[in-house]
Amino acid sequence: MPRRKTGAAIPEMFRLMLEKPTTEAYPFKPIQLPQRFRGKLDIDPAKCTGCQVCALVCPASVITMVDLGTRKVGDKELKVRRPLFDLSTCIFCGECVDNCAFNALELTKQFEIATPNKAELLMNKAIVK
Amino acid sequence: MSETITQLGKYAEEASSKVTSLRKNESLVEVSQDSLKKFLAHLVNDLHVRHLMTITGLDLGQNIAITYDFSQERDTIHVRTTVPKTKLVALSIVDIVPGAILYEMEVHDMFGVEFIGNPWKDQKLLLPEEWPDDLPPPLLKTTKAEQIRKRLGLEVVKR
Amino acid sequence: MSAGTGEPQRKEASAGLMEYSTESLVPFGPIHPALKEPEYFKLVLEGERIINVIPRIGYVHRGLEKASESRPWVQNMYMFERTCGICSFVHSVCYGQAVEELTMFQTPRRAKYIRTIILEMERIHSHLLWVGLMGHWAGFDTLFMWVWNDREVVLDLVEAISGNRVHKSMNAFCGVRRDMPENMADRIVERMKFLTDRARYYKEIIDTEETMLKRTENIGKVSVDTVEKLCAVGPMARYVGLRRDVRLNDPYAAYDEVPLDIITTTEGDVHALLRLRLDELVASANMVTYAVQNLPDGPIRVKIPPIIPAGEHSSHCEAPRGEIFYYARSSGGRTPERIKSRQPTMANLPTALEMLKGQTLADIPVVLTAIDPCFGCMDRMSFYDTETNRKWTWSGEELRQYGINHYFPDRSKKHNEARTIRDPSRIGQECRLEEF
Repeated sequence: MPRRKTGAAIPEMFRLMLEKPTTEAYPFKPIQLPQRFRGKLDIDPAKCTGCQVCALVCPASVITMVDLGTRKVGDKELKVRRPLFDLSTCIFCGECVDNCAFNALELTKQFEIATPNKAELLMNKAIVK
Repeated sequence: MSETITQLGKYAEEASSKVTSLRKNESLVEVSQDSLKKFLAHLVNDLHVRHLMTITGLDLGQNIAITYDFSQERDTIHVRTTVPKTKLVALSIVDIVPGAILYEMEVHDMFGVEFIGNPWKDQKLLLPEEWPDDLPPPLLKTTKAEQIRKRLGLEVVKR
Repeated sequence: MSAGTGEPQRKEASAGLMEYSTESLVPFGPIHPALKEPEYFKLVLEGERIINVIPRIGYVHRGLEKASESRPWVQNMYMFERTCGICSFVHSVCYGQAVEELTMFQTPRRAKYIRTIILEMERIHSHLLWVGLMGHWAGFDTLFMWVWNDREVVLDLVEAISGNRVHKSMNAFCGVRRDMPENMADRIVERMKFLTDRARYYKEIIDTEETMLKRTENIGKVSVDTVEKLCAVGPMARYVGLRRDVRLNDPYAAYDEVPLDIITTTEGDVHALLRLRLDELVASANMVTYAVQNLPDGPIRVKIPPIIPAGEHSSHCEAPRGEIFYYARSSGGRTPERIKSRQPTMANLPTALEMLKGQTLADIPVVLTAIDPCFGCMDRMSFYDTETNRKWTWSGEELRQYGINHYFPDRSKKHNEARTIRDPSRIGQECRLEEF
């Protein structure tokens, strides 16, 4: 049975005083992010075709498809749709990124997205020309 | 098939039912309410299957099915009994397995089944105190989320 | 919340299990700025000894089982992942296993190993968090700070693999979503060795430091018979000597191939729980090292169609707190018919109430944290002393201070003069009296 004593942690305390502190210096210095970090969603409008798979798989109802008119293909009129993202409810799971067949979506490393204005989190890059 | 399951077949026959084998070490025995306690007493006392994992309620349309999920080594044994929706009364097994007390309270809250013999059967475990009496239990298929929200006066955030 | 009236009746200490008493509850604010998760206990005391405990849970009941019946199968995986923050991956693995058996696809071997690695890292994270909390509630805040510093090591590893520290979102049906990054193996092995050394050092502290020994020895004892009858799971069953562990009894993921080390103790007090969880931490670090060095090659995922065939299946896994159980029933559609999930704290709650009976007031924080509850701790507790017929209330912080001052009265004289609640006979003047 080991000997009972008080102050068993004191040597460790002296050792830790000589090490550099654990606290990160953020926000005064930039923070190191790992390569796979999942931050804010981004879309490349040139690659999006409006297939709406991302809207069907999103668990958090972030994506709504907006009608933008029609276009002629041959002698048929096809609807043109593009996604509108409400990023205030996004859970950063990446299901839309994994399921997009055209690699139009990407989770960036941007994490400072808190804002008092909810309209700022509405991403309409694919709709606005 | 392990020793326990073979023996189980013998007791199931006494209760006039049989052991169905689902996939991968899972067995299901359906018994009636009358033979439930005798069958469980055999299971717990004679076969020493003492670990009750949980009690699951299930809405089958006309009846509510109550499944007792036991576990021993690699076997999972489900014992299922049904009560009709017209008479939601079941027997409590707290005298055989004392650890079943909170699980029975949960089935009572969520499906409205009353367990005779449970010492805390009138207390609510998970539902709030102001749950109105005319609002049906939440996990029934006929109770819709819209109905609960309206009755409790909760708002919905529309997307 | 509605207020209740009625005279509380005095009940003798129960010879059976869980006596029923006729007090009515006056829950006044489980929401409190100082707590982690809301819940409510009512204790009946005789002087300093507890003779009865009545719980009331359900303040964070989110209706997940009902919500799962209207969502597609894959979206439910993200929802059930968010049942808990500390055991989030094991929830998604257990749900995934319950549903995978209904399809005809097999999980690849490499995916099982990756699942095992993340599961064991989550166990290390949870046990480190818990050891820190025990230090905090026992009054040893230095230990809390040091242990939570080491917790950052394992969180950084998890972030490098999955992209997020807490909700990993790595699991999918019949596979995992992301592969292990290249050149991670050496880093993981080195960090696991570091954590093993730290765990050994913390064991030395709790075995010799007078503070921790006084607060945790011979407290919170239950008999083996009670634990078996009340169906306790996880470390609560193993600390009295039962070899009850799902990884041993019914192996899932890669646990039939990775060498397993199940820890049990026989003393059955809170100090034994501390040693048990630190030993489990070392065992988990060894498992991660083995799995990382023997990772098989192959695919990591099999894509399955969104419609699951009809049937029913259940699955259970070993979370850091105990056994998790999931039951899934499908009628052949895009959404499930019924999902049932049972968390380990619900299985351990009757045992926790038995642990509390016979303890003194000052031991409540330590004993309640010892079961590693996932609904957090005390929010607002009402006390009723049957001897002096006095009622009072305390917050969690006041109770913690009372415990520290009870055991170490000289230590915090000047430091805590303004906040000290030392003498129960003075309580009525300091706190509000409430209707019971």
